[in-house]
Amino acid sequence: MPSMSAPSEVSDPSAEVWHYDGRSALRRSARLTVDGDDGFRLVGDGVSDERHAFAALTPADADGDRRSFGLRGRPGWRIGLAAPVPPEIAARLPGAQRYGGWIDRLGLWRAAAISAMLAAVAVAIVLQTPALLARLIPTSVEQRLGEVMVGDFGRTGCAAPAGTAALARLAQRIDPDDPTRDIHVVKLPMVNAVTLPGGRIVVFDGLLQAARSPDEVAGVIGHEIGHVRGRDVMESLLRQLGLSVLLGGMEGHVGGYTNALLATAYSRGAEARADGYAIRLLDEAHVSPRPTAAFFARLAKAQAGTERMFAYLASHPLSDARAARFRTSAKADAGYTPALDPADWQALRGICRGETNRIEWRF
Amino acid sequence: MSDPSAAPVRAFRFTGRWQDYAPIAFTNLLLTIVTLGIYTFWGRARTRRYLWSRTRFIDDRLEYTGTGLELFLGYVIAFFVIVLPFGIVNLAIQGTLMRGHQGAAAVTGMIVYLAILYLVGVARFRALRYRLSRTYWHGIRGGSSQAGLGYGWRYFWQTIVATFTVYLLMPWSMVRLWNQRWNAMSFGSLPFRSHARWQPVFGRFLLFYLLPVILFGAVALLVAAIGFSGGFDGPRSTVPSPGMVLAIALGGLAFYIVFFGVLGLIAMTFYAAFFREAVGATSLGSLDFGFEATTRDWILLYLGNLALVVVTFGIGAIFLQYRNWAFFIRHLNAYGEIAVDDLLQSRERAPGQGEGLLDAFDVGAF
Repeated sequence: MPSMSAPSEVSDPSAEVWHYDGRSALRRSARLTVDGDDGFRLVGDGVSDERHAFAALTPADADGDRRSFGLRGRPGWRIGLAAPVPPEIAARLPGAQRYGGWIDRLGLWRAAAISAMLAAVAVAIVLQTPALLARLIPTSVEQRLGEVMVGDFGRTGCAAPAGTAALARLAQRIDPDDPTRDIHVVKLPMVNAVTLPGGRIVVFDGLLQAARSPDEVAGVIGHEIGHVRGRDVMESLLRQLGLSVLLGGMEGHVGGYTNALLATAYSRGAEARADGYAIRLLDEAHVSPRPTAAFFARLAKAQAGTERMFAYLASHPLSDARAARFRTSAKADAGYTPALDPADWQALRGICRGETNRIEWRF
Repeated sequence: MSDPSAAPVRAFRFTGRWQDYAPIAFTNLLLTIVTLGIYTFWGRARTRRYLWSRTRFIDDRLEYTGTGLELFLGYVIAFFVIVLPFGIVNLAIQGTLMRGHQGAAAVTGMIVYLAILYLVGVARFRALRYRLSRTYWHGIRGGSSQAGLGYGWRYFWQTIVATFTVYLLMPWSMVRLWNQRWNAMSFGSLPFRSHARWQPVFGRFLLFYLLPVILFGAVALLVAAIGFSGGFDGPRSTVPSPGMVLAIALGGLAFYIVFFGVLGLIAMTFYAAFFREAVGATSLGSLDFGFEATTRDWILLYLGNLALVVVTFGIGAIFLQYRNWAFFIRHLNAYGEIAVDDLLQSRERAPGQGEGLLDAFDVGAF
């Protein structure tokens, strides 16, 4: 740069660099010379001498070569400086990047702590809001969702007329105030009962056969009615959805296990609430809770035994505490009567006799 | 300046040390956990920046310029374009099943499976193209003129052909797909060329293919022999004694370990041969590649990885990417010359986002 002032030769700091221009693979040697306060030029054989701003340099990689820089908007363009970089130039070069963006600015530990707090808040929101949200969703919407998800599963189940009538009487006995109940029996050998999206309760025939009295069935149905009233199915659907989106970035298994763990923790709470609801229904209907307690105790004892018991255990984790809760809710002088008379009880157990649904190939 | 035969130095060298990589691996793990997994994309980019920067080819190191943001965006796009629609279709299939339309559900499921097969092919191609486009050497990057849609079809029908021949044509489809994938790639102004053949690796594949049949037959014979020689003599009660149950369980476990252990080892002999053939048949300009890992090397890598993960209760998994890359580079070689004066920048368009599609299917790029 021709200049009138004599000392300009000394005042412009410069350094040796190697250089790729991003157009050809040739490695060139050049001299980087500071030009003005915030720019530089490269001078060398076959090197373009256009002026670049120091601010246009991309940060070096802290894990790699800390004295090698790219140029924004020019892929492949690189310079690398030799060991002692003159301080005038070093001061103008961008800082190295390690973790990327804001973590470098905050520092690793502070960034990790802030992230952990945000993550905790996010998880808490996703775990807590479904309970509120589920109650805001109209029943009609949930029923339509249930239609989409499970169709008429259960509705076309066992329908022996006497049994259906007995089932209706049992439901009316323990839950007299709600005409919209939707309870069905399907002919499957599992000892289980489920509440489906949309509030449909499906009792499996295996449970009716494993039960020793109508009071035991009444307790189980009371529990499922508790799930329907608590909107528990909708709540767990929303929670699952939230968790799977939130943990979607995690490595497959890790995310899945965390998700299952958190969901299980919450489903225990829902089970306990449904038990409380069942106990209240039984008490109001003057049906003894002791048989239900005995039923749970029997299942818990058979835990290692018959395989078909597992279905109920998986969805309704049993414990002595649960059975005990039903047992201790019994009152001495409550005047309990059986949930169904013997004839109705026989009819209910025979609900799957005769024409029932068959699984066939349909389009 | 670039004549590898003049020096005893290998064309590819890996100069990383696990002690240097450990801080990267552990901080990646920490940040991934506290961000509920979101950092994993940035962590992966950082790992690659390290591994590439410790990989020297002839006279200079490689450079990886992909960013976590690109990988993240790729994942988000794949989530909305692939994962979400497939999730909804899955729900619909369940609904159809619940209504008793098993036939319709089966047909829909089949269509979904075929669509995924096609997309996996596209994903593999695009992941390789993306990685090449972010790999720089001497300021030059790789790329491809294709987007992978055509490769997706080839992957689709060749996999189906291999399936219909009870996987007998597996080597044929693997080798052809390798050639088709690499023949569509380029580095700078030079195209990759690959002409691998399936015939040289077919013998080892047959060994791998037939061994389970032979092993199974042998065990069946053995069981029959014990049965006839009176091993199960005595009053045949329906409840076997605890000792008998234990013996059967241990026998089953031993069979399981031997079966899959031996099968795994045989699979390694095939895999080693396949990789040597495939990489050895690949070239870039006047540069021929070679891969020198023997079956023994592969087995040691595999056992080392297994031991690392088991001994550290899974935490060692954060070092697997490092080990695999180091293994790959240490056995990769190149012969011939590369004329840096003639090597010009790639003219192919660089893809905007990362390997989201591949992430969505959880498959590897190579």
